[in-house]
Amino acid sequence: MQAGSNPDQPILVLKDVAIGYDSSDPLVKVPDLHVFPGEIIAIAGPSGIGKSTLLRTIAGLVSPISGTLKVCGRTLPENPPRGHLGYVPQKLGLVRHASVRHNVYQGARAGTNIRKERQDRSIRAIEEMKLTEKSREPIRRLSGGQQRRVATARTLAQRPRLILADEFLSELDEETLSSVLEAVTNYVRENNASLIVVEHDITRAKMMADRLLIIDDGRMNPFIEGTQALEVNP
Amino acid sequence: MKVAIDSGILTKSFLCILILAFLVLNGMVSDWGRLTGGFGNLKNFFYQSLWPPDWSVLEPQVYPVCTARYPFEFTCSTAWIGVIETIKIAFVATVFGMALSFPLSLAAARNLSPGWLSFSSRFVLSAFRSLPSLIWAIFFVILIGMGPLSGVLAMTVYTVGYLGKLWYEAIEGLNKTPLEAAQAMGLSQYETALGVVVPESANELISHSIFLFEYNFRSGTIIGIVGAGGIGYYIDLYLRFLQYDKVIAYLLIIFLVVLIIDFFSIYARSFFTEDDDLKAPSWFEVIYGLGRVASNPSSLFRGRR
Repeated sequence: MQAGSNPDQPILVLKDVAIGYDSSDPLVKVPDLHVFPGEIIAIAGPSGIGKSTLLRTIAGLVSPISGTLKVCGRTLPENPPRGHLGYVPQKLGLVRHASVRHNVYQGARAGTNIRKERQDRSIRAIEEMKLTEKSREPIRRLSGGQQRRVATARTLAQRPRLILADEFLSELDEETLSSVLEAVTNYVRENNASLIVVEHDITRAKMMADRLLIIDDGRMNPFIEGTQALEVNP
Repeated sequence: MKVAIDSGILTKSFLCILILAFLVLNGMVSDWGRLTGGFGNLKNFFYQSLWPPDWSVLEPQVYPVCTARYPFEFTCSTAWIGVIETIKIAFVATVFGMALSFPLSLAAARNLSPGWLSFSSRFVLSAFRSLPSLIWAIFFVILIGMGPLSGVLAMTVYTVGYLGKLWYEAIEGLNKTPLEAAQAMGLSQYETALGVVVPESANELISHSIFLFEYNFRSGTIIGIVGAGGIGYYIDLYLRFLQYDKVIAYLLIIFLVVLIIDFFSIYARSFFTEDDDLKAPSWFEVIYGLGRVASNPSSLFRGRR
Protein backbone atom coordinates (compact mmCIF):
# COMPACT_ATOMS: atom_id res chain seq x y z
CA MET A 1 0.00 0.00 0.00
CA GLN A 2 1.59 3.19 -1.14
CA ALA A 3 1.50 6.31 0.96
CA GLY A 4 0.11 9.45 -0.59
CA SER A 5 -3.40 10.81 -0.71
CA ASN A 6 -5.57 13.79 -1.54
CA PRO A 7 -4.05 16.73 0.42
CA ASP A 8 -7.52 18.11 1.17
CA GLN A 9 -8.72 14.92 2.83
CA PRO A 10 -7.60 14.58 6.44
CA ILE A 11 -5.71 11.39 7.31
CA LEU A 12 -6.84 11.57 10.93
CA VAL A 13 -10.06 12.97 12.35
CA LEU A 14 -10.91 13.12 16.04
CA LYS A 15 -14.32 14.61 16.88
CA ASP A 16 -15.47 14.98 20.50
CA VAL A 17 -13.25 12.09 21.49
CA ALA A 18 -12.79 11.22 25.16
CA ILE A 19 -9.81 8.99 25.94
CA GLY A 20 -8.85 6.90 28.92
CA TYR A 21 -9.54 3.65 30.70
CA ASP A 22 -12.37 4.79 32.97
CA SER A 23 -15.49 6.09 31.23
CA SER A 24 -16.45 8.20 34.25
CA ASP A 25 -13.02 9.80 34.41
CA PRO A 26 -11.48 10.37 30.94
CA LEU A 27 -7.81 11.31 30.75
CA VAL A 28 -7.96 13.53 27.68
CA LYS A 29 -10.77 15.15 25.70
CA VAL A 30 -10.17 16.13 22.09
CA PRO A 31 -12.98 18.38 20.82
CA ASP A 32 -11.76 18.55 17.23
CA LEU A 33 -8.52 17.52 15.56
CA HIS A 34 -7.85 17.10 11.84
CA VAL A 35 -4.43 15.97 10.62
CA PHE A 36 -3.76 16.48 6.92
CA PRO A 37 -1.30 14.77 4.55
CA GLY A 38 2.26 16.04 4.90
CA GLU A 39 1.71 17.37 8.41
CA ILE A 40 3.92 16.65 11.39
CA ILE A 41 2.23 17.01 14.77
CA ALA A 42 4.01 16.84 18.11
CA ILE A 43 2.17 16.11 21.34
CA ALA A 44 3.78 17.36 24.52
CA GLY A 45 2.80 17.62 28.15
CA PRO A 46 3.71 16.44 31.62
CA SER A 47 4.28 12.71 32.16
CA GLY A 48 1.30 10.58 33.12
CA ILE A 49 -1.21 12.98 31.62
CA GLY A 50 -2.31 10.68 28.80
CA LYS A 51 -0.07 11.38 25.79
CA SER A 52 0.79 7.74 25.19
CA THR A 53 -2.83 6.69 25.83
CA LEU A 54 -3.92 9.17 23.15
CA LEU A 55 -1.44 7.61 20.74
CA ARG A 56 -2.53 4.08 21.66
CA THR A 57 -6.14 5.06 21.05
CA ILE A 58 -5.33 6.41 17.59
CA ALA A 59 -3.39 3.16 16.96
CA GLY A 60 -6.56 1.19 17.71
CA LEU A 61 -5.17 -0.48 20.81
CA VAL A 62 -7.51 1.30 23.23
CA SER A 63 -11.14 2.05 22.40
CA PRO A 64 -12.16 5.69 22.77
CA ILE A 65 -14.67 6.26 25.57
CA SER A 66 -16.81 8.40 23.28
CA GLY A 67 -16.66 10.38 20.04
CA THR A 68 -15.60 9.67 16.47
CA LEU A 69 -12.11 8.56 15.51
CA LYS A 70 -11.28 8.08 11.82
CA VAL A 71 -7.95 7.06 10.29
CA CYS A 72 -7.69 7.20 6.47
CA GLY A 73 -11.47 7.49 6.31
CA ARG A 74 -12.06 4.32 8.35
CA THR A 75 -13.71 4.42 11.74
CA LEU A 76 -11.80 2.95 14.67
CA PRO A 77 -11.90 0.58 16.42
CA GLU A 78 -14.47 -1.31 14.28
CA ASN A 79 -12.80 -0.81 10.92
CA PRO A 80 -9.01 -0.52 11.30
CA PRO A 81 -6.97 0.75 8.34
CA ARG A 82 -4.89 -2.36 7.77
CA GLY A 83 -1.33 -1.48 6.77
CA HIS A 84 -1.94 2.29 6.61
CA LEU A 85 -0.91 2.97 10.20
CA GLY A 86 2.67 2.72 11.44
CA TYR A 87 3.31 2.58 15.17
CA VAL A 88 6.56 2.99 17.11
CA PRO A 89 5.71 2.43 20.77
CA GLN A 90 7.86 3.85 23.56
CA LYS A 91 9.28 0.37 24.25
CA LEU A 92 9.64 -0.13 20.47
CA GLY A 93 7.83 -3.49 20.26
CA LEU A 94 10.68 -5.29 18.52
CA VAL A 95 11.06 -9.06 18.49
CA ARG A 96 14.13 -9.31 20.71
CA HIS A 97 15.30 -12.77 19.65
CA ALA A 98 14.90 -12.13 15.94
CA SER A 99 17.31 -10.34 13.61
CA VAL A 100 17.18 -6.73 12.46
CA ARG A 101 16.17 -7.96 9.00
CA HIS A 102 13.30 -10.02 10.40
CA ASN A 103 11.95 -7.08 12.41
CA VAL A 104 12.11 -4.68 9.50
CA TYR A 105 10.47 -7.28 7.27
CA GLN A 106 7.44 -7.35 9.60
CA GLY A 107 6.81 -3.71 8.70
CA ALA A 108 7.08 -4.48 4.98
CA ARG A 109 4.77 -7.45 5.48
CA ALA A 110 2.13 -5.13 6.97
CA GLY A 111 2.54 -2.70 4.09
CA THR A 112 2.37 -4.94 1.02
CA ASN A 113 1.37 -8.43 -0.03
CA ILE A 114 4.02 -8.70 -2.76
CA ARG A 115 6.98 -10.76 -1.54
CA LYS A 116 9.60 -9.11 -3.79
CA GLU A 117 8.35 -5.65 -2.81
CA ARG A 118 8.62 -6.59 0.87
CA GLN A 119 12.26 -7.62 0.43
CA ASP A 120 13.14 -4.48 -1.52
CA ARG A 121 11.48 -2.22 1.04
CA SER A 122 13.27 -3.98 3.92
CA ILE A 123 16.68 -3.65 2.28
CA ARG A 124 16.10 0.03 1.48
CA ALA A 125 14.90 0.85 5.01
CA ILE A 126 17.85 -0.98 6.59
CA GLU A 127 20.27 0.93 4.36
CA GLU A 128 18.56 4.23 5.10
CA MET A 129 18.91 3.66 8.85
CA LYS A 130 22.56 2.57 8.35
CA LEU A 131 21.95 -0.86 9.80
CA THR A 132 23.24 -2.98 6.91
CA GLU A 133 26.17 -4.36 8.91
CA LYS A 134 23.86 -5.28 11.77
CA SER A 135 21.10 -6.79 9.64
CA ARG A 136 21.74 -10.36 10.83
CA GLU A 137 22.24 -9.45 14.51
CA PRO A 138 19.50 -10.27 17.03
CA ILE A 139 17.86 -7.18 18.49
CA ARG A 140 18.93 -8.03 22.05
CA ARG A 141 22.56 -7.47 21.10
CA LEU A 142 21.97 -3.91 19.85
CA SER A 143 22.28 -0.69 21.83
CA GLY A 144 19.17 1.33 22.74
CA GLY A 145 19.84 3.82 19.94
CA GLN A 146 20.34 1.08 17.35
CA GLN A 147 17.08 -0.53 18.44
CA ARG A 148 15.28 2.79 17.87
CA ARG A 149 16.72 2.90 14.37
CA VAL A 150 15.40 -0.63 13.74
CA ALA A 151 11.92 0.40 14.89
CA THR A 152 12.09 3.43 12.57
CA ALA A 153 13.29 1.23 9.69
CA ARG A 154 10.35 -1.12 10.32
CA THR A 155 7.95 1.81 9.93
CA LEU A 156 9.70 3.13 6.80
CA ALA A 157 9.52 -0.37 5.25
CA GLN A 158 5.79 -0.41 5.93
CA ARG A 159 5.30 2.93 4.13
CA PRO A 160 2.17 3.86 6.11
CA ARG A 161 0.01 6.96 5.58
CA LEU A 162 0.06 7.81 9.28
CA ILE A 163 3.02 7.25 11.60
CA LEU A 164 2.50 7.30 15.36
CA ALA A 165 5.75 7.54 17.29
CA ASP A 166 6.10 7.59 21.05
CA GLU A 167 9.36 9.27 22.15
CA PHE A 168 11.09 7.72 19.13
CA LEU A 169 14.04 10.11 19.22
CA SER A 170 15.17 9.43 22.78
CA GLU A 171 18.43 7.54 23.41
CA LEU A 172 19.84 8.73 20.06
CA ASP A 173 23.10 10.64 19.83
CA GLU A 174 22.95 14.03 18.06
CA GLU A 175 24.28 12.77 14.72
CA THR A 176 21.97 9.74 14.59
CA LEU A 177 19.04 11.84 15.79
CA SER A 178 19.35 14.26 12.91
CA SER A 179 19.72 11.48 10.32
CA VAL A 180 16.72 9.54 11.70
CA LEU A 181 14.63 12.69 11.89
CA GLU A 182 15.62 13.66 8.36
CA ALA A 183 14.71 10.21 6.99
CA VAL A 184 11.28 10.25 8.67
CA THR A 185 10.41 13.86 7.80
CA ASN A 186 11.54 13.31 4.20
CA TYR A 187 9.32 10.26 4.00
CA VAL A 188 6.35 12.23 5.37
CA ARG A 189 6.84 15.21 3.05
CA GLU A 190 7.59 13.20 -0.11
CA ASN A 191 4.75 10.73 0.34
CA ASN A 192 2.08 13.05 1.73
CA ALA A 193 1.95 10.95 4.86
CA SER A 194 1.50 12.31 8.41
CA LEU A 195 3.51 11.94 11.58
CA ILE A 196 2.21 12.28 15.10
CA VAL A 197 4.96 12.14 17.64
CA VAL A 198 4.82 12.22 21.43
CA GLU A 199 7.84 14.19 22.59
CA HIS A 200 8.68 15.29 26.11
CA ASP A 201 11.41 17.66 24.91
CA ILE A 202 9.49 20.80 23.90
CA THR A 203 12.47 22.31 22.05
CA ARG A 204 12.87 19.21 19.92
CA ALA A 205 9.12 19.01 19.39
CA LYS A 206 9.03 22.61 18.13
CA MET A 207 12.00 21.93 15.88
CA MET A 208 10.32 19.08 14.03
CA ALA A 209 6.60 19.79 14.17
CA ASP A 210 4.23 21.92 12.11
CA ARG A 211 1.81 21.97 15.02
CA LEU A 212 2.47 21.36 18.67
CA LEU A 213 -0.38 20.04 20.77
CA ILE A 214 0.04 20.61 24.45
CA ILE A 215 -1.90 18.40 26.76
CA ASP A 216 -2.20 20.68 29.75
CA ASP A 217 -4.82 22.80 31.51
CA GLY A 218 -6.09 24.23 28.28
CA ARG A 219 -3.21 26.67 28.00
CA MET A 220 -2.13 27.71 24.49
CA ASN A 221 1.51 27.30 23.67
CA PRO A 222 2.84 30.77 22.74
CA PHE A 223 5.78 29.68 20.62
CA ILE A 224 4.31 27.97 17.61
CA GLU A 225 1.66 29.36 15.42
CA GLY A 226 -1.32 27.10 15.08
CA THR A 227 -0.71 25.34 18.36
CA GLN A 228 -3.81 23.79 19.83
CA ALA A 229 -4.50 22.80 23.38
CA LEU A 230 -6.38 19.68 24.30
CA GLU A 231 -8.74 19.66 27.23
CA VAL A 232 -7.40 17.45 29.97
CA ASN A 233 -9.39 15.74 32.68
CA PRO A 234 -11.69 18.70 33.32
CA MET B 1 -5.37 -8.60 50.47
CA LYS B 2 -1.77 -9.21 49.41
CA VAL B 3 0.90 -9.22 52.11
CA ALA B 4 4.65 -8.78 51.85
CA ILE B 5 6.43 -12.12 52.16
CA ASP B 6 9.75 -12.50 53.97
CA SER B 7 11.86 -15.62 54.38
CA GLY B 8 10.73 -16.10 58.03
CA ILE B 9 7.06 -16.29 57.05
CA LEU B 10 7.92 -18.63 54.19
CA THR B 11 9.89 -21.01 56.46
CA LYS B 12 7.13 -21.11 59.09
CA SER B 13 4.46 -21.63 56.45
CA PHE B 14 6.40 -24.48 54.87
CA LEU B 15 6.93 -26.13 58.29
CA CYS B 16 3.18 -25.91 58.97
CA ILE B 17 2.41 -27.49 55.56
CA LEU B 18 5.01 -30.23 56.22
CA ILE B 19 3.41 -31.05 59.60
CA LEU B 20 0.00 -31.10 57.91
CA ALA B 21 1.33 -33.55 55.30
CA PHE B 22 2.62 -35.88 58.08
CA LEU B 23 -0.76 -35.71 59.84
CA VAL B 24 -2.56 -36.59 56.59
CA LEU B 25 -0.15 -39.52 56.03
CA ASN B 26 -0.67 -40.70 59.59
CA GLY B 27 -4.40 -40.75 58.93
CA MET B 28 -3.89 -42.99 55.91
CA VAL B 29 -1.41 -45.49 57.46
CA SER B 30 -2.90 -48.00 59.89
CA ASP B 31 0.25 -49.97 60.80
CA TRP B 32 3.61 -48.19 61.00
CA GLY B 33 5.22 -51.45 62.16
CA ARG B 34 5.30 -52.66 58.57
CA LEU B 35 8.11 -50.21 57.90
CA THR B 36 10.50 -51.91 60.34
CA GLY B 37 11.02 -54.99 58.16
CA GLY B 38 11.06 -52.92 54.95
CA PHE B 39 14.79 -52.21 54.78
CA GLY B 40 15.69 -55.81 55.57
CA ASN B 41 13.37 -57.03 52.86
CA LEU B 42 14.81 -54.54 50.41
CA LYS B 43 18.39 -55.67 51.24
CA ASN B 44 17.48 -59.32 50.74
CA PHE B 45 15.62 -58.59 47.51
CA PHE B 46 18.50 -56.46 46.19
CA TYR B 47 21.29 -59.00 46.82
CA GLN B 48 19.32 -62.17 46.07
CA SER B 49 17.28 -61.11 43.04
CA LEU B 50 18.54 -57.81 41.58
CA TRP B 51 22.32 -57.75 41.94
CA PRO B 52 24.45 -58.32 39.95
CA PRO B 53 22.60 -57.27 36.79
CA ASP B 54 22.36 -59.92 34.08
CA TRP B 55 24.04 -58.27 31.10
CA SER B 56 22.99 -61.08 28.81
CA VAL B 57 20.27 -58.68 27.71
CA LEU B 58 23.01 -57.07 25.61
CA GLU B 59 23.79 -60.35 23.83
CA PRO B 60 22.25 -61.06 20.42
CA GLN B 61 18.95 -62.92 20.41
CA VAL B 62 18.96 -66.54 19.24
CA TYR B 63 16.18 -65.83 16.77
CA PRO B 64 16.08 -64.04 14.38
CA VAL B 65 19.69 -64.82 13.47
CA CYS B 66 21.96 -61.82 13.98
CA THR B 67 23.62 -60.60 10.79
CA ALA B 68 25.64 -57.81 12.42
CA ARG B 69 29.41 -58.29 12.60
CA TYR B 70 31.82 -57.89 15.49
CA PRO B 71 31.77 -55.57 17.48
CA PHE B 72 28.18 -54.63 16.61
CA GLU B 73 26.43 -57.84 17.65
CA PHE B 74 24.85 -55.97 20.54
CA THR B 75 22.58 -54.28 17.98
CA CYS B 76 20.69 -57.61 17.78
CA SER B 77 20.09 -57.66 21.56
CA THR B 78 16.70 -57.06 23.15
CA ALA B 79 18.10 -54.10 25.11
CA TRP B 80 19.34 -52.32 21.98
CA ILE B 81 16.22 -53.11 19.95
CA GLY B 82 13.97 -52.00 22.84
CA VAL B 83 15.87 -48.75 23.50
CA ILE B 84 16.00 -47.80 19.81
CA GLU B 85 12.29 -48.50 19.41
CA THR B 86 11.49 -46.42 22.50
CA ILE B 87 13.62 -43.54 21.18
CA LYS B 88 11.85 -43.78 17.81
CA ILE B 89 8.41 -43.76 19.49
CA ALA B 90 9.41 -40.77 21.65
CA PHE B 91 10.83 -38.87 18.68
CA VAL B 92 7.84 -39.41 16.39
CA ALA B 93 5.34 -38.67 19.18
CA THR B 94 7.18 -35.47 20.14
CA VAL B 95 7.34 -34.20 16.55
CA PHE B 96 3.66 -35.03 15.84
CA GLY B 97 2.75 -33.56 19.23
CA MET B 98 4.61 -30.33 18.39
CA ALA B 99 2.80 -30.03 15.05
CA LEU B 100 -0.61 -30.44 16.69
CA SER B 101 0.20 -28.37 19.79
CA PHE B 102 1.23 -25.30 17.81
CA PRO B 103 -2.19 -24.25 16.44
CA LEU B 104 -3.91 -25.34 19.64
CA SER B 105 -1.57 -23.31 21.87
CA LEU B 106 -2.01 -20.22 19.66
CA ALA B 107 -5.77 -20.66 19.91
CA ALA B 108 -5.58 -21.20 23.68
CA ALA B 109 -3.44 -18.11 24.41
CA ARG B 110 -5.70 -15.37 25.75
CA ASN B 111 -3.45 -12.60 24.42
CA LEU B 112 -3.94 -13.84 20.84
CA SER B 113 -7.40 -15.36 20.64
CA PRO B 114 -10.93 -14.38 21.61
CA GLY B 115 -12.34 -15.83 24.85
CA TRP B 116 -14.55 -18.51 23.29
CA LEU B 117 -11.70 -19.92 21.19
CA SER B 118 -9.24 -19.80 24.06
CA PHE B 119 -11.69 -21.56 26.39
CA SER B 120 -12.58 -24.34 23.92
CA SER B 121 -8.91 -24.97 23.04
CA ARG B 122 -8.00 -25.19 26.73
CA PHE B 123 -10.85 -27.64 27.19
CA VAL B 124 -9.40 -29.91 24.46
CA LEU B 125 -5.89 -29.66 25.91
CA SER B 126 -7.15 -30.44 29.43
CA ALA B 127 -9.05 -33.47 28.11
CA PHE B 128 -5.88 -34.82 26.43
CA ARG B 129 -3.87 -34.19 29.60
CA SER B 130 -6.37 -35.63 32.05
CA LEU B 131 -5.34 -39.23 31.32
CA PRO B 132 -1.71 -40.36 31.75
CA SER B 133 0.06 -41.75 28.71
CA LEU B 134 -0.24 -45.27 30.17
CA ILE B 135 -4.06 -45.11 30.05
CA TRP B 136 -3.94 -43.66 26.52
CA ALA B 137 -1.66 -46.58 25.58
CA ILE B 138 -4.19 -49.11 26.95
CA PHE B 139 -6.91 -47.28 24.99
CA PHE B 140 -4.98 -47.43 21.71
CA VAL B 141 -3.86 -51.06 22.26
CA ILE B 142 -7.55 -51.98 22.58
CA LEU B 143 -8.39 -49.83 19.56
CA ILE B 144 -5.67 -50.82 17.05
CA GLY B 145 -3.80 -53.67 18.69
CA MET B 146 -0.35 -54.10 20.22
CA GLY B 147 2.77 -52.51 18.75
CA PRO B 148 4.68 -49.25 18.43
CA LEU B 149 1.85 -47.45 16.55
CA SER B 150 -0.30 -47.60 19.69
CA GLY B 151 2.62 -46.18 21.65
CA VAL B 152 3.15 -43.36 19.16
CA LEU B 153 -0.56 -42.41 19.19
CA ALA B 154 -0.79 -42.58 22.98
CA MET B 155 2.24 -40.42 23.52
CA THR B 156 1.24 -38.00 20.75
CA VAL B 157 -2.11 -37.36 22.47
CA TYR B 158 -0.43 -36.86 25.82
CA THR B 159 2.28 -34.65 24.27
CA VAL B 160 -0.37 -32.40 22.70
CA GLY B 161 -2.11 -31.96 26.06
CA TYR B 162 1.07 -31.26 27.98
CA LEU B 163 3.08 -29.32 25.36
CA GLY B 164 0.03 -27.29 24.35
CA LYS B 165 -0.35 -26.09 27.93
CA LEU B 166 3.35 -25.29 28.35
CA TRP B 167 3.38 -23.43 25.05
CA TYR B 168 0.26 -21.32 25.59
CA GLU B 169 1.58 -20.32 29.02
CA ALA B 170 4.87 -19.30 27.39
CA ILE B 171 2.96 -17.32 24.74
CA GLU B 172 0.81 -15.60 27.36
CA GLY B 173 3.99 -14.60 29.20
CA LEU B 174 5.27 -12.73 26.14
CA ASN B 175 5.97 -9.03 26.35
CA LYS B 176 2.82 -7.37 25.03
CA THR B 177 4.54 -4.48 23.22
CA PRO B 178 5.62 -6.45 20.09
CA LEU B 179 2.11 -7.91 19.86
CA GLU B 180 0.58 -4.44 20.15
CA ALA B 181 2.95 -3.07 17.51
CA ALA B 182 1.93 -5.93 15.19
CA GLN B 183 -1.76 -5.30 15.87
CA ALA B 184 -1.44 -1.55 15.26
CA MET B 185 0.51 -2.11 12.02
CA GLY B 186 -2.31 -4.36 10.83
CA LEU B 187 -0.58 -7.76 10.73
CA SER B 188 -3.04 -10.65 10.60
CA GLN B 189 -3.25 -13.26 13.37
CA TYR B 190 -1.33 -15.70 11.18
CA GLU B 191 1.39 -13.15 10.39
CA THR B 192 1.64 -12.17 14.05
CA ALA B 193 1.97 -15.83 15.09
CA LEU B 194 4.77 -16.54 12.60
CA GLY B 195 6.51 -13.17 12.66
CA VAL B 196 6.28 -12.22 16.33
CA VAL B 197 5.06 -15.01 18.61
CA VAL B 198 7.29 -17.84 17.37
CA PRO B 199 10.63 -15.97 17.32
CA GLU B 200 9.87 -14.12 20.57
CA SER B 201 9.01 -17.29 22.49
CA ALA B 202 11.39 -19.65 20.61
CA ASN B 203 13.54 -20.27 23.71
CA GLU B 204 10.63 -21.58 25.74
CA LEU B 205 9.04 -23.48 22.85
CA ILE B 206 12.23 -25.35 22.04
CA SER B 207 13.13 -25.95 25.66
CA HIS B 208 9.67 -27.39 26.41
CA SER B 209 9.84 -29.61 23.30
CA ILE B 210 13.19 -31.06 24.36
CA PHE B 211 11.79 -31.67 27.84
CA LEU B 212 8.80 -33.49 26.32
CA PHE B 213 11.16 -35.70 24.26
CA GLU B 214 12.98 -36.68 27.47
CA TYR B 215 9.65 -37.25 29.18
CA ASN B 216 8.33 -39.33 26.27
CA PHE B 217 11.40 -41.55 26.35
CA ARG B 218 10.92 -42.20 30.07
CA SER B 219 7.20 -42.83 29.74
CA GLY B 220 7.94 -44.92 26.63
CA THR B 221 9.53 -47.46 28.94
CA ILE B 222 6.25 -47.70 30.88
CA ILE B 223 3.77 -47.89 28.00
CA GLY B 224 5.65 -50.89 26.58
CA ILE B 225 4.35 -52.83 29.59
CA VAL B 226 0.82 -52.68 28.17
CA GLY B 227 2.03 -53.81 24.76
CA ALA B 228 2.58 -50.45 23.10
CA GLY B 229 6.14 -51.29 21.99
CA GLY B 230 9.60 -50.31 23.17
CA ILE B 231 11.84 -51.53 25.95
CA GLY B 232 8.90 -51.75 28.37
CA TYR B 233 7.76 -54.87 26.54
CA TYR B 234 10.94 -56.72 27.54
CA ILE B 235 10.84 -55.36 31.12
CA ASP B 236 7.29 -56.67 31.44
CA LEU B 237 8.36 -60.03 29.99
CA TYR B 238 11.15 -60.57 32.54
CA LEU B 239 9.04 -59.24 35.42
CA ARG B 240 6.51 -61.99 34.63
CA PHE B 241 9.30 -64.62 34.76
CA LEU B 242 10.66 -63.05 37.99
CA GLN B 243 14.06 -62.48 36.31
CA TYR B 244 14.78 -59.29 38.25
CA ASP B 245 18.51 -59.34 37.47
CA LYS B 246 17.61 -58.79 33.80
CA VAL B 247 15.07 -56.13 34.76
CA ILE B 248 17.72 -54.17 36.70
CA ALA B 249 20.05 -54.42 33.66
CA TYR B 250 17.32 -52.82 31.50
CA LEU B 251 16.72 -50.14 34.13
CA LEU B 252 20.42 -49.27 34.27
CA ILE B 253 20.50 -49.03 30.45
CA ILE B 254 17.46 -46.72 30.55
CA PHE B 255 19.20 -44.59 33.18
CA LEU B 256 22.28 -44.34 30.96
CA VAL B 257 20.21 -43.37 27.91
CA VAL B 258 18.28 -40.75 29.92
CA LEU B 259 21.61 -39.35 31.06
CA ILE B 260 22.85 -39.18 27.45
CA ILE B 261 19.62 -37.46 26.31
CA ASP B 262 19.99 -35.03 29.19
CA PHE B 263 23.51 -34.06 28.15
CA PHE B 264 22.44 -33.67 24.53
CA SER B 265 19.52 -31.49 25.59
CA ILE B 266 21.86 -29.29 27.64
CA TYR B 267 23.88 -28.85 24.46
CA ALA B 268 20.80 -28.13 22.33
CA ARG B 269 19.29 -25.68 24.83
CA SER B 270 22.56 -23.76 25.14
CA PHE B 271 21.93 -22.37 21.64
CA PHE B 272 18.70 -20.72 22.76
CA THR B 273 19.78 -19.16 26.01
CA GLU B 274 18.90 -15.51 26.59
CA ASP B 275 22.28 -14.75 28.14
CA ASP B 276 24.83 -14.03 25.45
CA ASP B 277 27.70 -14.31 27.93
CA LEU B 278 27.08 -18.05 28.31
CA LYS B 279 29.03 -20.03 25.75
CA ALA B 280 27.48 -23.10 24.14
CA PRO B 281 29.50 -26.16 25.24
CA SER B 282 31.46 -27.91 22.50
CA TRP B 283 30.66 -31.50 21.56
CA PHE B 284 33.97 -32.46 23.17
CA GLU B 285 32.87 -30.88 26.46
CA VAL B 286 29.53 -32.71 26.32
CA ILE B 287 31.10 -36.12 25.60
CA TYR B 288 33.95 -35.51 28.05
CA GLY B 289 31.42 -34.56 30.75
CA LEU B 290 29.41 -37.69 29.99
CA GLY B 291 32.51 -39.89 30.16
CA ARG B 292 33.57 -38.34 33.45
CA VAL B 293 30.16 -39.02 34.98
CA ALA B 294 30.13 -42.60 33.64
CA SER B 295 33.57 -43.31 35.11
CA ASN B 296 32.76 -41.64 38.43
CA PRO B 297 29.00 -41.38 39.10
CA SER B 298 29.56 -39.79 42.53
CA SER B 299 30.83 -36.62 40.76
CA LEU B 300 27.18 -35.92 39.91
CA PHE B 301 26.44 -35.24 43.55
CA ARG B 302 29.40 -32.98 44.20
CA GLY B 303 29.01 -29.24 44.13
CA ARG B 304 30.54 -27.26 41.30
CA ARG B 305 33.82 -25.61 42.20
